[in-house]
Amino acid sequence: MGFLSTSVGWFLSLGSSVIVMIVLIILGLIFRVGWQKAVRGGITTGVGLAGLFLVVNVIVGALQPAVAEMATRFGMTKTLVDVNWADAGIAWGWPGVAGLIVSLLVVNILMVALKLTKTLWTDVWSYWHGSALAGFVWALTGGNVFLGILAGVLYLVAGSLMSDMTAKKYQEFNDMPGIGVPCGTTVQASLFAMPVVWLLDRIPGLKDWDASPEGIKKRYGLVGEPGVLGFLLGVIIGIFAYGVGTGDLGIAKILGLGMNVAVMMMILPRMVSIIAEGIVPITMSIVQYMRERFKDREIYVAVDCAVLLGHPAVMASTIILFPLLVLLAAILPGVQMLPIASLAVVPFWAGAVVPYTKGNVVKTVIVLLLYAIPFMYLSTLTAESHTEAFKMMGQYGEQIGQGLKLASWDMGGDILGFFIQKIFGLFG
Amino acid sequence: MSKLIVVACGAGINTSTIAEDSIKERVAKEGFADVEVKRILMADIEGYLARTDLIMIVSMMKIFRTYDVPVFQGMPFLIGSQAEKDVLLDKIVEAIKKV
Repeated sequence: MGFLSTSVGWFLSLGSSVIVMIVLIILGLIFRVGWQKAVRGGITTGVGLAGLFLVVNVIVGALQPAVAEMATRFGMTKTLVDVNWADAGIAWGWPGVAGLIVSLLVVNILMVALKLTKTLWTDVWSYWHGSALAGFVWALTGGNVFLGILAGVLYLVAGSLMSDMTAKKYQEFNDMPGIGVPCGTTVQASLFAMPVVWLLDRIPGLKDWDASPEGIKKRYGLVGEPGVLGFLLGVIIGIFAYGVGTGDLGIAKILGLGMNVAVMMMILPRMVSIIAEGIVPITMSIVQYMRERFKDREIYVAVDCAVLLGHPAVMASTIILFPLLVLLAAILPGVQMLPIASLAVVPFWAGAVVPYTKGNVVKTVIVLLLYAIPFMYLSTLTAESHTEAFKMMGQYGEQIGQGLKLASWDMGGDILGFFIQKIFGLFG
Repeated sequence: MSKLIVVACGAGINTSTIAEDSIKERVAKEGFADVEVKRILMADIEGYLARTDLIMIVSMMKIFRTYDVPVFQGMPFLIGSQAEKDVLLDKIVEAIKKV
């Protein structure tokens, strides 16, 4: 036992980039993709993970002093730093990730075989939602890998059932027969939209109110581009934090913050993309196997929520939502995170809602304004376990010691994830 | 002049990686030395339309408008069988040869 715990301790001390490299190479060999692909995939993902943490370092360094300054100047307690998809770092880097992937494959194949779900979870990348939650629970329970895996599997099983309920609608609207989308907060947005749209359709005047997606994109499209949006938000926060009357140094700080936030908005997703570049080829063979196993049944093949973004109303609604959501988070009392990086998840939510609003921009905006409110509060409530998970992975220990707290909408604000965290928190 | 194929998806993270992988493999097999396959974000398509070397868009989403270059819907890469993938790859190769 002593030997075992020492070697586990040594393994964890390697750091998540090295761990994920080793784990993926082993997974690649188990899935029989061959040495070359396994090694390339493992190293690529390790690089992506290390890069992701580097980018978060930049943004933490730039944003933390600014939000602290705002707090002292205006008494605004919006001090949580938004890291959004940096949670992918927890998802692929926490020590139980390999166990979770294998457990979920087994559970999903069993569920499909027993006809408990029609959704065949072939999209291994999207396991990250469950895996990030698993990482939070791991941190919450003082490092219990087993409970983490259990929480992650539960979350993803719930995702399959939600996918069953929404698949037909997605398929019809996007003209993609046979797909299902079990991704975390995206599919939850659809469930939320069902009753709200029903209600909106019964309010006179609102029923037929719409806006032209093409017109909005043409006029305001620039704001929808991540770099531009990030720069704008950074400058606005900078003005509040450092004031406009502080001379050249103040302006330099404001512009610098704008640039740093733009860096985060453009480079964070690219880093996540490098992580995917490593993982996806390694998992392709298992996908092929699962598809062939259930060839003759009606199944929904799980795909990433990105396939839902084609309709023009998606980007149009997103552009309108960006300023409204930032404003809402700024004025709602008790909400401690100003969304910046987390805004990147909004188009995915919109993609899940437009099939229900039939592409109506106004209704999509209303639905998502309401949907985002719980995320604002829950991301504040989960900041503690969220920050702890990063700390336990050996990231940002020094800054966390000085009071840094990290949060996000996509995983930190997740409604289903919050309840699972609460339940497992009882065992902590 | 080199020929550019862009593979567009929502965040340039997952689905486009899957398609890019398959297309690159086939492009290498056909021996096209001057074809570049690039993953991009859906929001970036407009920016790439101005590039004179752009010969094709592969979209992981349903496309609701038309473009001057051929557009292929990449869903078979995500959920198709090997045979369905090959049909799509054949079409893509044919389109490359036409340029």
